[in-house]
Parts: sequence; C-alpha cells; structure tokens
Amino acid sequence: MKSWNDMEMMLKRRTFLTRSGLGFGAAALYSLMQQQQSAQANANTGRIPGLPGLPHFPPRVKRVIFLCMAGGPSHLETFDYKPKLNELDGKPMPESFTAGQPIAQLQGKELKVQGHLTKFRASGKSGTLISDFMPWHQKMADDICVIKSMQTEQINHDPAHTFMNTGSAISGRPSMGAWITYGLGVDTDELPGFVVMTSVGGRNPQPIASRQWGTGFLPSRYQGVEFNSNGDPVNYVRPPGGITNAQQREVIDAIRQLNEHRLRKVHNPEIETRIAAYEMAFKMQSSVPELVDLSNEPKHILEMYGAKPGDGSFASNCLLARRLAERGVRFIHLYHRGWDHHGGLVKYMNICCGLTDKPTWALLTDLKQRGMLDDTLIIWGGEFGRTPMSQSKGGAGRDHHIKGFSMWMAGGGIKGGTTYGNTDELGYNAVEKPVHIRDLHATMLHMLGIDESRLSVRVQGLDMKLTGVEPSHVLEEILG
Amino acid sequence: MRNGFLTSISPPLPCPASTIGAMILLLTPFQGYCGKPEAVGEVDFNRDIRPVLANKCMACHGPDENEREADLNLLSEESAKRDRDGYAVIKPGDSGSSELLKRILTDDPDLKMPPPELGKPLSSEEIGLLKRWIDSGAIWAKHWAYVRPVRKEPPRAEMPDWNRNFIDRFLYAKMREHDLHPSPKADRVTLIRRLYFDLIGLPPTPADVDAFLADSSDDAYEKLYNRLLGSSHFGEQMAAYWLDLVRYADTVGYHGDQDHNISPYRDWVINAFNSNMKFDQFTREQLAGDLLPNPTIQQKIASGYNRVLQTTHEGGLQPKEYLAIYAADRMRNLSAVWMGATLGCAQCHNHKYDPYTMKDFYSMQAFFADLDEAQHFKVGGNSLPTNRPPELAVWNPEDRKQYQRMQEKLAELNRQLHKHEEMAAQQSAAPTKTGALPNSDEKLSNKGKPQQRSKSDHLKDALSKQIKSLKSKSDALLKKQRKSMISVAIKPRIIRVLPRGNWLDESGEIVSPAIPAFMGKLETGERRPTRLDLANWLVDAKQGAGLLTARVLMNRLWYLMFGRGLADLADFGGQGTPPTHPELLDRLAIEFVDSGWDVKQMIRLLVSSQAYQQQSLVSEEVRKLDPQNMWYARQSRYRLPAESIRDNALAISGLLVEDVGGPSIRPYQPTGYYRHLNFPKRVYHHDQDSRQWRRGVYVHWQRQFLHPMLKAFDAPSREECTAQRPRSNTPLAALVLLNDPTFLEAARAFASRIMTEAGEDFDARLDFAFRVALSRSPDRFEKKLFRRNYERQFEYYRNHPEQAKKLQTVGISPVPKELGQTELATWTQLARILLNLNETTTRN
Repeated sequence: MKSWNDMEMMLKRRTFLTRSGLGFGAAALYSLMQQQQSAQANANTGRIPGLPGLPHFPPRVKRVIFLCMAGGPSHLETFDYKPKLNELDGKPMPESFTAGQPIAQLQGKELKVQGHLTKFRASGKSGTLISDFMPWHQKMADDICVIKSMQTEQINHDPAHTFMNTGSAISGRPSMGAWITYGLGVDTDELPGFVVMTSVGGRNPQPIASRQWGTGFLPSRYQGVEFNSNGDPVNYVRPPGGITNAQQREVIDAIRQLNEHRLRKVHNPEIETRIAAYEMAFKMQSSVPELVDLSNEPKHILEMYGAKPGDGSFASNCLLARRLAERGVRFIHLYHRGWDHHGGLVKYMNICCGLTDKPTWALLTDLKQRGMLDDTLIIWGGEFGRTPMSQSKGGAGRDHHIKGFSMWMAGGGIKGGTTYGNTDELGYNAVEKPVHIRDLHATMLHMLGIDESRLSVRVQGLDMKLTGVEPSHVLEEILG
Repeated sequence: MRNGFLTSISPPLPCPASTIGAMILLLTPFQGYCGKPEAVGEVDFNRDIRPVLANKCMACHGPDENEREADLNLLSEESAKRDRDGYAVIKPGDSGSSELLKRILTDDPDLKMPPPELGKPLSSEEIGLLKRWIDSGAIWAKHWAYVRPVRKEPPRAEMPDWNRNFIDRFLYAKMREHDLHPSPKADRVTLIRRLYFDLIGLPPTPADVDAFLADSSDDAYEKLYNRLLGSSHFGEQMAAYWLDLVRYADTVGYHGDQDHNISPYRDWVINAFNSNMKFDQFTREQLAGDLLPNPTIQQKIASGYNRVLQTTHEGGLQPKEYLAIYAADRMRNLSAVWMGATLGCAQCHNHKYDPYTMKDFYSMQAFFADLDEAQHFKVGGNSLPTNRPPELAVWNPEDRKQYQRMQEKLAELNRQLHKHEEMAAQQSAAPTKTGALPNSDEKLSNKGKPQQRSKSDHLKDALSKQIKSLKSKSDALLKKQRKSMISVAIKPRIIRVLPRGNWLDESGEIVSPAIPAFMGKLETGERRPTRLDLANWLVDAKQGAGLLTARVLMNRLWYLMFGRGLADLADFGGQGTPPTHPELLDRLAIEFVDSGWDVKQMIRLLVSSQAYQQQSLVSEEVRKLDPQNMWYARQSRYRLPAESIRDNALAISGLLVEDVGGPSIRPYQPTGYYRHLNFPKRVYHHDQDSRQWRRGVYVHWQRQFLHPMLKAFDAPSREECTAQRPRSNTPLAALVLLNDPTFLEAARAFASRIMTEAGEDFDARLDFAFRVALSRSPDRFEKKLFRRNYERQFEYYRNHPEQAKKLQTVGISPVPKELGQTELATWTQLARILLNLNETTTRN
C-alpha cells in the first residue's frame, strides 16, 4: 500500500524521469504510470493527467454540470404529482407511512397531510408532469429525464449534502468532482478541472461547507476551486495593488530561473512540479478574469439567461458554467441556496423558481444550440425532498424528507421526456425502482466512461469509492 | 450462483512448478514498492503474507462472522489449517495440496479465488510468496502491532560513526541489505536549518547560523538541539501536529459552523510539550483530566479533548442520532490517535481485517457515556461563539495572578475605606447622643468640624477613586477570560450495540465500558470502569496497551524528524503498511516507556542519530534503488507544512510576533470568503494589531472554511484525525505565495529590513537578504539575475511612482517614511522572488 505522499512522489518522479531524458527504462519501473501517454505534455504544461486505463470504456459525456438546489426543493411542488395527496389534504397522515421513520423538525408534532400547493401541467410532447412553479422547465420537458424515486440517508442539511457529494456522511471523503478529475484528469491547462459557484438570492440560505468540494484523501490538486461572484473571481488570482501583469511575469520568470538553477544543484523533482504550478498560476491570472468577463457575450444571450454581469445570480453562474464547459472544465458545480421551505413554501418557491427556472432552461438550451448537450451531463436536484406532511412556520410548508424525492438528468443522450421510478400514492416512499445516491453516482460515472467499481483508492486498508461499499446500479434504462 | 470458497470439494488441481518459477523470474527488484522482499529469502508472515490475505481475501474470509464465507477466517491459524474432511485450506509444507493455492491457480471461473468479478486478482509475485510461505512451513505470526515489542540488539555497523546509536545500527543493517550506504553528514548550515524547522518550525537568523558555524566545540550540535528543545516555540511546533491528530478547531464544524470556546485547550497542548509533560500524564489529562483527584484548572482544560469533535444544533436534529454520531466520531479519533487503529470500521459490522468486534466499538464508547454533552442540542444557539456547556472560564496564568493580586488589593482598599467610614461615622455620630434631630445634627456637624471633615472626605475620595480605577481594571481583566469546553461526568447514558450502526434500532445488547476483548479486560471489580481507567490502560506498558501506544507515538515522532513513518502513520492494523524496521520501532517504543514517556528525550535520541544528520541530496542511482527513501540512506527533503510557510515568511520579514498562547488570531482573508456560512451570517474582520503577525498555530481554524492560505498548503479541516498531511504543489498554493496580502506585506517588511539593516550597497543588501531567507550567500548566477531584476523593477517604479505607492498600502504594518519609495518597491519585488523560491519553503 502506498501512502498518498508516496503516490504523489511517484507521479512527480515519473514526470521528472521522462523529462530529464533518463528514458522509458527508468520510468517503466513504475507500473502505475506506464500507460500515461500524456506525461510529457503534462510536465510542460502543468495539465493534470488522468489515471492510466481511464476512461474504462467510451464515455458518453466529457463533463458534468451539477445544479444543486440546496435546502431540499419539494418534489411535491416540482415533479411528483399525487392526486391522493390533495384528497387527504389536512387529514392525519396515515401512521403506516411514518411509524419508526426518521423525522426532522416535525419530531413529536401532529402529522397532517399537506396537499399540493400548486398545479401540475402535462408538458412537452412527452406530457411529463411539471408544476406551474416552473414554466421554463415545462418548456424543456422533452429534454430531461425526471427520476422520481430518489432516496438518501441523511435528514439534516449538512450531512445530507456531504452524503450527496461524497457518498458518505462522514467528513473527509473526496467529493464527486474530485473523484472525476482524479480519474479523468483535466482538459485545460489554464483553469482548474473542478469549479464551484454559489449564487445569491432566495430565502435565508443554507450554509454550504467547503468539504462539499473537498478532496478528502485525494491529493489537493483535485479539489474544487471556488469562483467568487464578488472580490477576486478566484482567491488571490489577481496580483496585489502596485504590481502589473508584466511585472508579475518578471517575478515568476525570476522564480523559475532560480528554481531551475536550484534543480541543477539538488535534482529534486519536486522543483519541476513547482515550476509548472507557477506557470499555471500565471495563466490563471489572465484566463480567470477573461472567463468571468461577460462583456463579450451578445445581448440576446445575456437576455436568454437573464444574466447581469457581476450580479452573482444563478443566471450569471449558468452562463459562466457554459463558458467553463467550453474551456475544458470537467466538473462544474452550481449551488443555489434557499430551498429549505419549512413554511411559506408558495412564497419561497416563487422566489427560488423565479431565480433559477429560466436560467436552467437557458443553460440547457444554449448548450443544445451549440451541440454541447451531447457531451455534457446536467444533473438537477437538492440534497433531499420534502414531507407529504405539512409544517407551517409562517404559512404552509414541508419538513425534510429522505425516503423519496425527485431529481433530473439531461444531456449525453439521456432519454429526454421520460420519468424513472415512482413514489407511493402520497409521495412518501420511493416504491418503484428506488434510486439511491450511489446509483446516481454510478450512473454519472458510467456516463463519463468510468466503471464505479474500478475507481477506488486504498485508504486505511479499505478500497474507498465514491459509491461506497453497498452495491450500486447504473440506470441503464435512461441511457440513450 | 458461483461456488463459494471451499463449499464444494474439487479434485486436486495440477500445480505446475514451472509456472510459479516463471512468475518469480518476472519479478524485478523494483516490482511494486520496496517493502516487498526479493524473490529469494525468508518469507515473513506479517510483512509478506498478512497484507496479501488481508487485501485480497479477508473481506469474505476474515474475522467478521456475519460476512464470512465457507467458515474460513484467514486471520485465524486454526481456521486456515484445520482438517476439513480430508483437505485443509493451508497444509504446511505442501502448497500443492493446500486448497488455497489450488483455488488461486485454477482456471475454472466458478472456483477461482479471489472471485474474478471482485476485480482483485493476485499478482504473480503474491502467488509466489504464498507458495513459498506454505512450502516453508506456513509459519503463522500474530499481527505485529499486537505482539509485545522485544528489545533486540542491532548488529554492529562497519562504520564507527554509525555504531553509537541503536537507531543508526538498525538502519545501517537494512541499508546494507539493500545495497545502500549512508550519505555523508550534511553541512552545518543545512543541519541548523533542519533542526530549526523540525523542532521549532522557524528559520535560524543569520546570527544563529554564524554562532553555530563558529562553535568548534565537540558538543556544538548537541547544544543546539538542546537549546531548541528548551524554546517555547518547540511546544508550538509539536502542538501543530498534535492538533491535527485530535482534530482541534475553533468552530463546531456542522451546519452553521459557529465558533466554539476551546483555545485554552490549544494552549494547554503547547504548554504540555514545552514543559515536557510525560506522555502518559499527557494522555490521562486529556481523556480524563476531570476525573483525576482534585483536578487543577489545567487538567480540566485538558479534558476538553473529549469535546473538540464536530457538533451541531441544527434545527430538526434528532438527539439520539447525533449522540450516536458523536460517539462514533470519538471512537475513530481515540483509536487513531492512541492505538493506530481504525475502530470506526466496527461501527456497523465486526472489523474486516482486525480483531475488533462491533461489541468492542460500542463497549469502548461506553467509557465516554458519562460525558455531559447533550445540553447544546437545546441551548446551542446561533451566536458567536455558540454555547457548548459545560465550559470553564479561564485565564492565562499571568492574568490570573494579576487578577488575584488586584482582588487582594481591592479587598485591602475596601477594608481601609470601610474602616475610614466607620471612624467617620463614629465621629459624626457622637453629637447625636445629645438627642438633636438628625437634620440639625448634620448641619451642626458640618459646621462643628470643618477641617476634620475636609481631610476625611479627601481621604475617602482618594480611596474611592483608587477602588474605582482598580475595579475597572479588574473588570477589564475579567473580560480577558476565555471559556473552554471541558469534560464533566454525569450519570452515564445507556450504550447499546447499534445493529448495522442504525441508531433507530434499539434492539441491540446493552454494553458496559470495556477495552477490546482480544486485548484483555480491565480489572476494576464491581466498579464501572471510567475514562481514567481507559487512559491508564492506554499508557500501561506492563498490563495494558502501553507499548502499542508507545509504538504509535514513536512512529509519528519519527515521521516528524524523517519525513515518513517507519510504519503506516494512520493504521497499525492488518491493512496498514507494516513497519520497514520493526525491530527499530520496537526498540524505540521500549526506550520511550523506559524513559518515563519523555518526549523531549526521544526527540533528542532521534536528532542525535547519524541518520538524522545525513545529507538529503541523492544520486540518480540511489534514487532508483530507493525512490521513497524507505531505507533512510539519506535525509528527506520536503515542503514545509502550512503553518511554517507562514511563520517562515513572517520571521524573515521581521514581522513575526513571538507571543505564546491566547485567543485565536485572524489574518487577512479574501473578502467574502465566509459568504456561504450562515446562522449567523459571518463578517470576517482581520486583526488590526500585532496579532496579525502571530504564528500559524494560532490562526482561527474554521472547519468549514479553513483559511485559504492554510488550505492551499494542505492543512486539514480537522473534521477527522490527520496523522499525515499530503504535501501538494498546486497553482493555488503558488497564487497564495504570490498574492496573499500576508506574503506581500511580509515582502515589503523584508525589503525595508534589507534597506535599513544592510547598508546602501546592492551586493551587501542582496547578501543580507539571502542570508536571512536562505542562510547562505548568493552565487554568481543569482547575483546576476537579481541585479538584472533590480534594474528593471527600479526602472518601472521610477516611472510609475503611483504603483510604488500602491504597493505600500497592502497590510497594516507602517512603512518607514525615510525609505525611498522607488527603492522600497523594487526591493519588495526582489523579496517576493526570495519568498517564493522552492528553497525557501523546503526543509532539506
């Protein structure tokens, strides 16, 4: 078993050997690295290589855009229509559903059924039922596959996000984006492979911990890099006041020459990596500001998204997501917070959907127009759903719910205009084709050409995987 | 369905010896990593066989009864060797008739082991090892970590220098086995830098270096490390590592990630290392300081260890769920920190690879069932800091003394005042005896004793004034009290085995506090064993787990001095990398216990070895033989840890403030970095005074959003135990060193130091800068390069004075007015180059 430091060292060593002309013979000692064809290029550019042998099979998509609706949107006011729910509105929730079940804020309270707080509409050619809170989703009904039988294991926000993003509620595991960039590497040497953005607006927002885009036990180069909507777009990406780009270049050149000088003396392969890291750092100083500058986007595109440059809105972030996708970023994670509707659900659904519905449609449509939806997987959903029972903290609302909720996937040939699985007649339990988070993960990895069982890292004696230890299933039915 | 291992009797399979031979021929000395032995030589069960069985077989044929297939437990010699109606899985001396080998070598996919669909095939090397092991008698050994260390004498080394210290002799023997030779001793500059970074985490000053170079006495080196071990920075350096292990942080970690009160515990750790508290006591005070007889305030603070875990008061939490989460968290940490064990694996099932059972996991939890820790579910609150009772209000020792002195003085002054008032009252009361009305009496007395009254008033006023002033000072001091979460024992709650770890399932057996069953039993008679019993057991080298604990800690001290562990730093179990030098690790553990758990003494032993003092340079040939420096034929070379990156820059710049202890500090941080935190919303205010330049170990540790500088250099979030940090080298880290205001301010302060302390001459200034940053003078190449850069930067800033001026606005440190603006800007740029060099941030 190798520790990560050993692994890192070997990676660096490999790079060093191939570059310093010691030839393949020496490098071949490290069977792990042998198949890495792009090593040479990587050493020069600092581009992060993927693992040898990956993808395991031809991928359907190159990248993932994960639209996380943090707080837990109600499946019962978005995609899951249950006539029975309206029938029983205001009546006691049958105990057969709730006995012995985990319950969050409704612990010890009287449990009553809450009927739908909106109407549903058969949308698109497919007739997929989508709520009137989401008129723009109704327009793209034929492009998405709604999974109505999602299940998770964590009922509080923080651990539920951790579970959604890392496959475990215990802190310290790598996030999805980290796993994916670790496995597949990065197709850009000017931007990080895994980018996270969070938008402003909505209800009192749920906190989001940086562990949600952490690397856990994977090397830190795979961590998600947060793009900020105000201040520096990436922390420390701009040289401080009094230093121009040209001067920064001179400083970095001097650092490089001195490091090379040192390298000749001490032959430390670490120095090579360092030189490459500084090169990429410098590239990011221009590529990141260029990326976030929306001034060269045509007016009709800005209007399509509803984006106002620099406003930090979900709309602007969706547009940035497309730009990131165009530039080779592998995993783009957008958070929109404010979906935690214990009360005032109608009011806050109007706000949240008002901020996210159209931009989501715009992103999908824009990618489609550019032919990029074919190799982009979009996933939409929260960390859990909401109870069929009512909670009313300032107007009708719903509590956290984990036994059945909805998400959707689109792109990369996913069968649009379809639904998968179903909950029971009250939208409580996923009863038809339940989809666990690990199944979602397995499917996402599969779309990227990764066999989930073969993307593992040995930590403390265990083969850790994003999908965990229990068997997971790829949702073959929804793949095109 | 496929046939499980041994469920059907199959005819013996041919085992062509030629196949095995060919497999062995394929091996090169560098196959895999260097922990593997050569193709010939003795096979060692613990080193060579156990890892193969553990990795490839034990998930189904291991100690976990519930998952065990074919009633085969490969952790048990009996199970593996017993007769199974005419055959045995392992038949000592006869691999050909051992079912193990047959099943491994068969081509029949229904019989083959490990099952092909598991995707864990055995390598040809592993098969070769198993065969040789069985043929040579299949000698079993208990897992190394659970075998009592034996004091062994190392062979003598051929090199006299390498004979003085048992560490060197053990290492030397292994080096020779691998055709390696020790490297020459490092030069003195390298040695002093290495010692400074390893022992105190700071660079030596040029004066320190000069003094060491000039000291020609035989014990110059010894004096140096002894001096550093006596420095108050030693405790800070050691604490930074210990705090990673125990996952110390300033915030609760879950949900709103509010601040909690714990920094006095951090200071306690620093002081414990500085005062060389013996490690057994160090253990007792953290696990059970509150249970010691008449515990001191410090011991209560130490017991905060039990409280530093992540906690929550998120709305809608289910208390039972979180109590189960806390208990599991605590088990993961305790077992990792003291036992090098992954007890967390036994939360839902018996451990797959180690002899820990699920019952052990919950019985160990029961030791901590007495902790008063549920109050915050109700009273937590979204304040900063939040409430996490029980807490203790504490001072640093000087403040406490001062406060006591003030209280004494106050009491004295009050006594005086009181006395005075009494006297005055008596005097003024005298005329009332005449029976006059009080009102008129007042008038009378006013008129009657004008002089006396005035003197008396004067004294009284003075006293009152003094009291008032002292009181306000004492109140201000009172505010300097810090709270710290502590352990308080209440009636232990009931602990049950949770089936599959499911807290909703209350059908499990109720357990009492107990150590893992395979390690024995605590003898406490009728008395319920306590945390203190557990702590005592962990450091009891005779009856308890003391030697295991000692090995775990010595492995980690070794890592701090040599850059890698002798064994796996996180896992001493069947899945961890076994020790490269088991006898050396045993000997270190024994010496540690014999020293009375004396940490400084053990570090002395490590740094006084020849191995420690070797060069870290490596030839291509040696690098090929031992790329990971597993055999220590050189010292290691690696990037400084995050805190030292910061401290080093601050020390070089002259900004570093060397105070020890106190509340956590807040360096500059990008605007909006906490934007995702809520309950309450967070506004970050960086420190506006000299706290800005304190050491990294004091930086406010926000679990959910660790300071981006620390994070970029691999400091952990401290949600879980970290025994070994990665050492990455990323563009984000480069951006920090280039653009973080802390480093820019340090560069400017360094520049003004260069200009004020090194005269006017460019060469003298550059020489000074190099000596401060790198403890050496620049060579010709470097001089030329810096000269060229100087000229270009100077030219730029002369033509752009507004830019030079802007450079002065970064940070809060004042810029000396007398320094020329252009020159200062230019040297700031040169200082940035120096602070960004690989050499500056590398320990070698």
